[in-house]
Amino acid sequence: MTSYAIFLGCTIPARQPNYELSARKTLEKLGVELVDLDGFTCCCPPPIQSINLESSQAIAAYNICLAEEAGLDIVALCNGCFESLAMVNAALKKDKELKTHVNEVLAKVGKEYQGTIEVKHFLQVLMEDIGLEKIKANVVKPLNKLNVAPFYGCHSLRPSKLLQLDDPERPQILENLLEALGATPLEYRNKLKCCGGLLKGISDDTALALAREKLMNTTKAGADCISTLCPFCFVALDIGQIQVKSKYQEVYDIPIMHYSELIALALGVDPEELAIKSHKVKADKVLEKIA
Amino acid sequence: MPHHNTKENANMSFSEEVTHRHGGETLTACYQCGTCASSCPVARLDARFNPREIIKLSLLGEKQEILTGDAIWLCTSCFNCQERCPQDVEIADVIYALRNIALEAGNSPNIYADFASALIADGRIVAISKFVEKKREEYGLPPLKAVHVEALNTILSATGFTKPEKKEASQ
Amino acid sequence: MEQPKVGVFLSDCGKQLSDILDFDALTNFVKNVPNVALIARGSEFWRGNGLKAIVDAIKGGKINRVVVAESLPKLSEVNIAQAVSDAGLNSYLVEVIDLKDHCAWPHRSAPAEATEKAKAMLLSAIERAKLLEPIEKLEFPTLKSALIIGGGIAGMQTAVDLADLGFEVNLIEKAPFLGGLAARAGRFFPTDDCAICIQSPSSDVKTITHTSRKCVYRSGFSEIPNLSILTNAEVVSVEGVPGNYKVTIEKKPRYVDADKCVVCGKCAEVCPVETPDEYNANLNNRKAIYLNVPTVHPQIYAIDEDACKFQECAKCVAVCPTNAIDLGQQTEQVTLNVGSIVVATGFKEFDSSNIKEYHYDEYPDVITNLELARMIDGFGPTGGKIIRPSDGKPAKKIVFVQCAGSRDRRYNPYCSSICCMISLKNASLVKEANPDAEISICYIDIRTTGREHEYYYERARDMGIKFVKGRPTEIYNDEEKGKLIVDVEDALLKRFLDLEADLVVLAAAMVPAEGTAELAEILGLDLEADGFFKEYNAKLRPTETKKRGIYLCGGATFPKDAPTASLHAHSAAMKAAKFLTSGKIVKDQRTAIINEDYCGDCEFCPVMCPYGAITLEPTTEDHFVAKVNEILCEGCGVCVGTCPLNAIELRHSRPNQMSAQMNALLSVNGTSKPLVLAFCCQECGHTAVDSSGMAKMEYPANVRIIKVPCAGIVRVNQILEAYKAGAQAVMIVGCKTDGCHYEVGSAKAEKKMDMAKILLKEYGIEPERLEMFKMVFIEGAQFAEAAKMMTERAAKLGTLKLMGDS
Ligand SMILES: Cc1cc2nc3c(=O)[nH]c(=O)nc-3n(C[C@H](O)[C@H](O)[C@H](O)COP(=O)(O)OP(=O)(O)OC[C@H]3O[C@@H](n4cnc5c(N)ncnc54)[C@H](O)[C@@H]3O)c2cc1C
Ligand code: SF4
Ligand code: SF4
Ligand code: SF4
Ligand code: SF4
Repeated sequence: MTSYAIFLGCTIPARQPNYELSARKTLEKLGVELVDLDGFTCCCPPPIQSINLESSQAIAAYNICLAEEAGLDIVALCNGCFESLAMVNAALKKDKELKTHVNEVLAKVGKEYQGTIEVKHFLQVLMEDIGLEKIKANVVKPLNKLNVAPFYGCHSLRPSKLLQLDDPERPQILENLLEALGATPLEYRNKLKCCGGLLKGISDDTALALAREKLMNTTKAGADCISTLCPFCFVALDIGQIQVKSKYQEVYDIPIMHYSELIALALGVDPEELAIKSHKVKADKVLEKIA
Repeated sequence: MPHHNTKENANMSFSEEVTHRHGGETLTACYQCGTCASSCPVARLDARFNPREIIKLSLLGEKQEILTGDAIWLCTSCFNCQERCPQDVEIADVIYALRNIALEAGNSPNIYADFASALIADGRIVAISKFVEKKREEYGLPPLKAVHVEALNTILSATGFTKPEKKEASQ
Repeated sequence: MEQPKVGVFLSDCGKQLSDILDFDALTNFVKNVPNVALIARGSEFWRGNGLKAIVDAIKGGKINRVVVAESLPKLSEVNIAQAVSDAGLNSYLVEVIDLKDHCAWPHRSAPAEATEKAKAMLLSAIERAKLLEPIEKLEFPTLKSALIIGGGIAGMQTAVDLADLGFEVNLIEKAPFLGGLAARAGRFFPTDDCAICIQSPSSDVKTITHTSRKCVYRSGFSEIPNLSILTNAEVVSVEGVPGNYKVTIEKKPRYVDADKCVVCGKCAEVCPVETPDEYNANLNNRKAIYLNVPTVHPQIYAIDEDACKFQECAKCVAVCPTNAIDLGQQTEQVTLNVGSIVVATGFKEFDSSNIKEYHYDEYPDVITNLELARMIDGFGPTGGKIIRPSDGKPAKKIVFVQCAGSRDRRYNPYCSSICCMISLKNASLVKEANPDAEISICYIDIRTTGREHEYYYERARDMGIKFVKGRPTEIYNDEEKGKLIVDVEDALLKRFLDLEADLVVLAAAMVPAEGTAELAEILGLDLEADGFFKEYNAKLRPTETKKRGIYLCGGATFPKDAPTASLHAHSAAMKAAKFLTSGKIVKDQRTAIINEDYCGDCEFCPVMCPYGAITLEPTTEDHFVAKVNEILCEGCGVCVGTCPLNAIELRHSRPNQMSAQMNALLSVNGTSKPLVLAFCCQECGHTAVDSSGMAKMEYPANVRIIKVPCAGIVRVNQILEAYKAGAQAVMIVGCKTDGCHYEVGSAKAEKKMDMAKILLKEYGIEPERLEMFKMVFIEGAQFAEAAKMMTERAAKLGTLKLMGDS
């Protein structure tokens, strides 16, 4: 059986049981074993990189070392964790000088980065380890009636020099995975632009304006829901709709669905088991179309 | 990101200080084409922010304006600019370098102090409450594993991590 | 051989030197050196009575070797060599040294030390002279014919020049029609007249005047008696040597007999096949039998193999009034023997689909300047109308995007240099014909560097064309508006503009023509990092390549406008004519010789030789031996420095000659400082030593100079030999990597020195005692600095202890 060290990060275990449940159940159904390793810390995403890039890289490398010791590749659910870890993993594999430097730091905590494992995004495990055919074969509730706006967020794709999820200009992996569930992925303006999540607490107005644009563009395209890959995008667009309503008096009422939730539903997992009720924008419209 | 940080020395111009930083190496390649600005989702919505301008100000050595202004904190690190820059300027990384410098100089929005405190205390930037742990149990999610906080702190101090301070008046 | 009788001629350069050097001591010293038959002192020996003294001594049988200490030896050597040769002695039995710039001046504050060094220099020259051998002249016959590859304006102009000069010229073009880009570009800046206009050949006697230039179709180009043109033709292989190249050409069938076609066009009328017209940017269809445009050259129909149905159809065959069509024609191999080859293969537009965010591959209304040029052309697919290819409607709003794929490190880091002008021209032509067109040009910088070019920029502004300073991040299709949107920041206003457009024109980068790398491989030529053909030396030897007799011109070396391409073409013709005109190559046999008994067929030298002059030839069944081709060998000695078995020697720089020099140079010190030996390449390295002397920069007299052809010749064992002979430190002074006169010699030397340092350690010699320097003539100061630095270094390290020393 394929096994991965699951990297939950900080936000998902604390705030998004819906993501964690759907991802765990999906992978279990598709025959991927997830191992919860001891010790994982914060991945050191952009806000920490903003404080000290060097510390952030070393801590990401530390976490990779933990998986190396267990002999497991990492699967990350959150775009932020994926980016922080995969970027450092790729940089360290490429750049000997950086590796030497990071290992000097890691030596102080008894670790040495080797470069023996891969860091994968949840989508990559689905695509590469399971494959579209097997997913299609396991779909029991096809999402045929669903028009979905795929939303990659930023840190699944970029910086593409270090992340190899897909073509950063014309990605197809999420679209293909949606199609495998029977859903229709939509094109919409500024699909690859940011949700604004990272500006929360720094400039809430700008953050909200970015989220609002995303809601406008996906609504204009006729989406039944937006499919996300990242807890920050989810929050920005889900809770964001309540804030948009109070600030701009605009009601979008467009459910935000992690891809993991859509696939879990398509594979026949009972919505009750997925904590879908935790969404601020109710997912009933989506659930009705799946039933 | 090949260089090890070399801290400011007296003779360095500001742009040199940036290029000697992790993330700042590519600054000087910029020829002000504006691709980054038109790629940037923030610049369109928030007149305080324009990545091309940040690069230009850094090149011209407008250190005070960069370090004490709002602008550098408004980047969402979305990397849209960086993907398309024809000169391979790693703009978002340059902005990290600028933030790192600003932070060492004692300038940063208060939220970074919260992030840092949480990281140092728990090894996580979002705290796990008793309530959350109970909820997880109800959902049938496995209990969370221990975090290597001590190792993390050793690394922080080995890499010169400066904890940002909150400012009373700011924000 | 006759015993060497050396004549030593000591010039004091009009007493300049005798104030510093003790000439009596020098004369006394030289007198005691064996085989010195004559010593003369004077104020100069390179002309007048001084030179006559040398000649007389030779003629009188007193001497058979000549050593001259003279200033400006690089100049005087030529005169002396000529006079010596006229006097009946081989000019290679002469050694000229420079006691002024290499000794008296740089060491003038220590005259006694300078005199000791002068002794060593004289001794070295005498010892070398004794071992010199005569070098003969080689002659190789060359053919008086040339092949020109590529029938664009550059290739055509070179062809006219060479044909006018009487050479047999063969021009081959891979397309069915001549003209290249010019035929498609319509009008040309800076004259706004027809692009496809060339200089008339002088054979065009009927209509020619001294000022004429002509449309290709009436230029008489194809009627030049000694020019033959092959279209649909490409080079598949080249063998032979400069002056005698055997070229194999594959000529694809045209299926129409050139001698019979009367261009009536009946064939095209009946042809049932419609196929996208690539020449016209696929904006229209054409028939399988076609002319690109009515004005093409040659005026002969051609069949498109990929589209024609051949025997299934054959309608054209039936209708042709002169039976010109032959569907059975086959590909032919043509062999040509030519003395010289000129490459004029031009360039092409970059494939803008690579810039995904511009959607060139997805949006039909995103086009390139070349495609727009086809629309502007009255003979083009739209009859001169500017339309939206997506729906054929007139294009009113047009946005140009500059630097599409140029100045972009992801694709082509260089500026393509002509696309600003092309956009300014095209925008103005469109605006002139359609005054209500709304045109914007998005630019990073506008580059208008030639005469009249800035006028195009002025005119465009006057016409109301708008300029936006910014490179768009993206072009997207706004389906609601039915327009393309160009997403750009005007950096001057710091404002985001979403420019609406019916048509977006990309000023696509210019990149090497299809097949450039393959052709380079066939011809044995180098490419630049950008993929264009490499010129031997961009400043002084443009159009030349590292291969004698092979030249480059036009866009094949870099994107250029037509005036520059013309200049280049005429220059290439001049170079080729200079090479071909005497019918022979004459050169001195300063070439490499292989000792076949030692050669272990290791394949190092054939790979290392910058000129491909060495091949491994079979001797017995399982043994190969290296052979030097004397036409190709340029005498650099890189092979000598490479051969692990010491199987190669270079005439005039033999190891015994170099050993004698070294031993002599290091035999006398006369200073309190450690001896330093500098191997200086005869090009930049040695001239840097000259210039430090000429500028009277000082360095200590313990530094001794030995001239070698190229830094690449120096062998590790010679460096060890230098230490044994008493050197406490060794310098290798060569050209800058990019400026090496033998292409790679300096770079190879540098690599070798890195290895040598490791080896030195094993011999117990500190690696710091060896250093490679790269400098040019004007860097005399750097030489002086390096000399001082190495002296200090050696002094610090103390006296060198060699293994076996006690
Ligand atoms: C859109 C556009 C507009 C332009 N406008 C202007 C202008 O207004 N003013 C100006 O001065 N310049 C202009 N130029 C530049 C001008 O066209 C060039 O300077 C000129 O055409 C270069 O001529 P060339 O013979 O070197 O190359 P080309 O015109 O490219 O000709 C090369 C020829 O070699 C042939 N060939 C290539 N490879 C082989 C091979 N292996 N074997 C045999 N044949 C081969 C090709 O088929 C072609 O016919 C323009 C260029 C473009 C693209
Ligand atoms: S895209 Fe790159 S080159 Fe252009 S302005 Fe931005 S940083 Fe400078
Ligand atoms: S990374 Fe920052 S500067 Fe670059 S496009 Fe995103 S928000 Fe703008
Ligand atoms: S000529 Fe102009 S458009 Fe072309 S690459 Fe240079 S600057 Fe860009
Ligand atoms: S001397 Fe130079 S050119 Fe001659 S064979 Fe040797 S490496 Fe080649």
